[in-house]
Order: sequence, then C-alpha cells, then structure tokens
Amino acid sequence: MCDVAFREINSKMVEATVLPGQRLFSQRGAMLAYKGDVSFTPNIQGGQGGVMSMIGRRIANEATPLMSVEGNGTVMFGHGGHHVQVINLTGDTLYVEADRLLAFEGTLRQGTMFMGSQGGVMGMVRGQVTGQGLFTTTLQGVGSVAVMAHGGVFEVPITPGRTVHVDPQAYVAHHGDVRNKLSTALGWRDMVGRGSGEAFQLELSGNGVVYVQASEEKL
Amino acid sequence: MYGAPGGGPTVYDPMTLPVDDNVNKYTFCVELKGSQWFLQKGKMIAYYGQMEFNGVGHGRLDRLVRTSFHSPLHASDWVVADGSGKMLLADRAFDVNSYDLDDGNLTIRSGNLLAFQPSLALKQSIVPGFLTLIGTGKFVAASNGPVVFMEPPIRVDPQALVGWADCPSPCHHYGHGYMTGVMGGLRAMTGLGGASGEEHQFEFVGAGTVLLQSSETLMAEQATGAVPHEPGVPGAGGGFTGPSQQAGAPRLPGQLGDLQRRFGL
Repeated sequence: MCDVAFREINSKMVEATVLPGQRLFSQRGAMLAYKGDVSFTPNIQGGQGGVMSMIGRRIANEATPLMSVEGNGTVMFGHGGHHVQVINLTGDTLYVEADRLLAFEGTLRQGTMFMGSQGGVMGMVRGQVTGQGLFTTTLQGVGSVAVMAHGGVFEVPITPGRTVHVDPQAYVAHHGDVRNKLSTALGWRDMVGRGSGEAFQLELSGNGVVYVQASEEKL
Repeated sequence: MYGAPGGGPTVYDPMTLPVDDNVNKYTFCVELKGSQWFLQKGKMIAYYGQMEFNGVGHGRLDRLVRTSFHSPLHASDWVVADGSGKMLLADRAFDVNSYDLDDGNLTIRSGNLLAFQPSLALKQSIVPGFLTLIGTGKFVAASNGPVVFMEPPIRVDPQALVGWADCPSPCHHYGHGYMTGVMGGLRAMTGLGGASGEEHQFEFVGAGTVLLQSSETLMAEQATGAVPHEPGVPGAGGGFTGPSQQAGAPRLPGQLGDLQRRFGL
C-alpha cells in the first residue's frame, strides 16, 4: 500500500491511486477523469457501516451521497471549483461536515457525532452557529481524506496553552485531542445593531490541528 | 502579483506590461503592432494605445474573416481588435492561459476560448459545443482552476473537459455495471441508492493531449451556432430515423428515469 492515497495536482484537484482490494469513497459526481479500469458504484448506505449507520446518518442529516470507487487505476477528483485540502490521519479522529468530504480512503471508519455530546446545550448552539447542525461526521483511523473548502485552506496547530479562535463560518475541520467551545463576545453594541460582526468565535484548545478556509462563505 | 515586500502591488505602465504574456493568473496582455487579434465580446478589460474593435461582419475585415474564421453562425460573438497598443484580457476571475500551436490542431470548449491570433483558423468541431483551432499561432483560454494536461488513454467527466489536441478519437463511454444484475435491477426499479453520476464519460485513446479543468463548474457556453441540417452531420437534428422511444410503461416514482432507458436496461 502506498503511504499517500491522494496527491494534490493543484489547489483544486487531487489524484488518487486505486488498487485492487482497496476501496475509496467519494462524493457522487466528483470524479473528473480516470485512467485504467475503475468502477463507480453509488453507495446506498451513504458510507460505511450497516443499515443502522445509514439510518443514523439520515436522521442526523449527514447523509451526503457517496459512491464507492474500486478497481485498478488513477482517478482525479475535484468538485465545484472548490479548493481541496488533503488531510492525513494517523489514528486520530477528524471532525468534518459530510458535505465537505470530497473523497476518503476506505480504511477510515466513518461515524456520526452528536454536537451536544461535546459541551451539552452550548455544543448544540455551536453547531447552529458554525452551520454544522446538531450532528457532524467523524472519520477515524489511518488514511487520508480530501476535504473541500471555499477559498484556500490553512492549518493552524493547536498546542496546550495556545488556544485558537476561529470564525465559525471559516471553520472547516479539525482533528486531534481538541476541545472546542463557542465563545461569545456579545455586548450592548450587538444589541443595538452596532456589533463588530465577530460576536461568535469558536475557541479550540488541546492538542491537534484546525483547518480554516480563507472565506466566510459556506459550501 | 506583488513587488518587493512592503512595496505594495506592482504598478504597470504601457512599457512594463508583458508582451503576449500573463500579467497575473487572471489577466493576459496582448500587444498589437498594427496587427489583429480575434477576441470574444466583452473579454477586453482595458487597453493602452490606438485600437479599434470591429464586429466580424465589418467590411474591411472581409478578407481576414474569410481566411481565419469559419464559424459563420458564431460571428456575432466575436470582434477583431485592430491597431497598436496593449490590451488586457480577462474573464470573470477564471484562470487565463495562453497556448502556442505550431502547425497543430486543438479543440476547445467554446465558452473557454477568449482570443486567438488570425494566423490560426477557427472552425466548429464536429463535437457540438466545441471549436477547433488549426494552424500556427497563439490563443488565450480560460479555465476554472489551472488546466491539467493528461495523456490518453483516459476517460474524462464531460464537464471537466476543456479540450484536446491531436487526439483523433473522442467518443462516449458508458459505465453502468452497477445497474445490471439482480441488485442493479432492484436499484433501478426502486431508485434506492440513486445514481453515481459517473455513468458517462468522454474517452480518449491514441496519441495526443487532453486538457482538464479542476472543477466541474462550467463556464457559460458560447453558442457555436447550429450546424447545417444535412444528412450525416452529427448534431444537425434532422435525418435521424432511429427507433422511436416507446412511451410505454408508466414510470414508478423514484425510478432512475432516463438513465435506464439510455442504457437499454
């Protein structure tokens, strides 16, 4: 097995190598071109796991149409002119919105997380502000993921003692042992409509990496 | 494009603007010295010097149009820049690049072509929606994201295809293996699982180069004009007397619709 499944060709396109016996998942319709003998099968369950996982994803509204990519060859992925960031996971968990997933390796375990499980009611509020909703998708294991973002992506390391604040709309994904909470800086100015527009910030602390896009536009 | 750190953006004047080269990723500068360029309407964003922009129908240009413009129904979308000076071309902040052809041919999606030198001849491709450039010279094209060059054999999503050079064999490829068999039939009947959206590609084999853009977002298509209604002309509409579609069995809700019929399932 090669160490990197996705190779960035340019800021908006990745190339993936598909080998027999290995499987990739990708968003439907995101294939740009391929060489070799590769098949694209729409995935009824919208990802891994059994029927229960599928139902879970449907309820959680994290059921992005996925297809499984199998065969022998190379495939180019890209979608909607969005910038693409490849994230390599080495055993930790990536938290990302399902519709930002361009493609990921079949070795990763896909799950759904309830936002309220991290910080209770404030977690749910956080989900609303970041546009994640009440649930978000998790990918865990060893493998790589191609994530889409509007505008270029930069990664900001999070180390103990150095808390990172991110605009909720510019937040893309994070991985590692990270705790996040929504910090509000609401003052009387916001109440009279003269706020700075930065009343809500995502505060991430712990040990890991957060990915931020250079735009406040959602996908 | 920024100069020395702290120096702010580079300020160009007519002397420092590049000659027939990119100013930045999104802007291309053309120098005219009593020469002419064809350009698509509305793609000129600024110019220095003395220039005239005339529609392709303009009387003085008759000879030029006769030798290098073979898309009569497309003429209203093109103008000829004539004079001397420097002209900047851009298109909605898409990436812009120039390509040199040396006694070659290249076929490109009509919406992506911005401008070309009259030493090239512009023709309509027999693939609808594409234009072919033949000869020696430079042309400027836009793409969504940088253009990636690939060698055949390759299969390309129709929306990601920008164009191709020297490949004699663009054809359609249908991959719908998952729709066959018992599970496939079940899937087609109920619509469960949906379609992958990748059942159809353009396939290229042989020697040549295929140009891809990194996104499936299309640029507004430029009408290339309809091809004449003649038997044997692809896309001409008339003349085709294939089996009529049976409007027969009513389709159940949730079925995959057109796809099954197209694959004859």
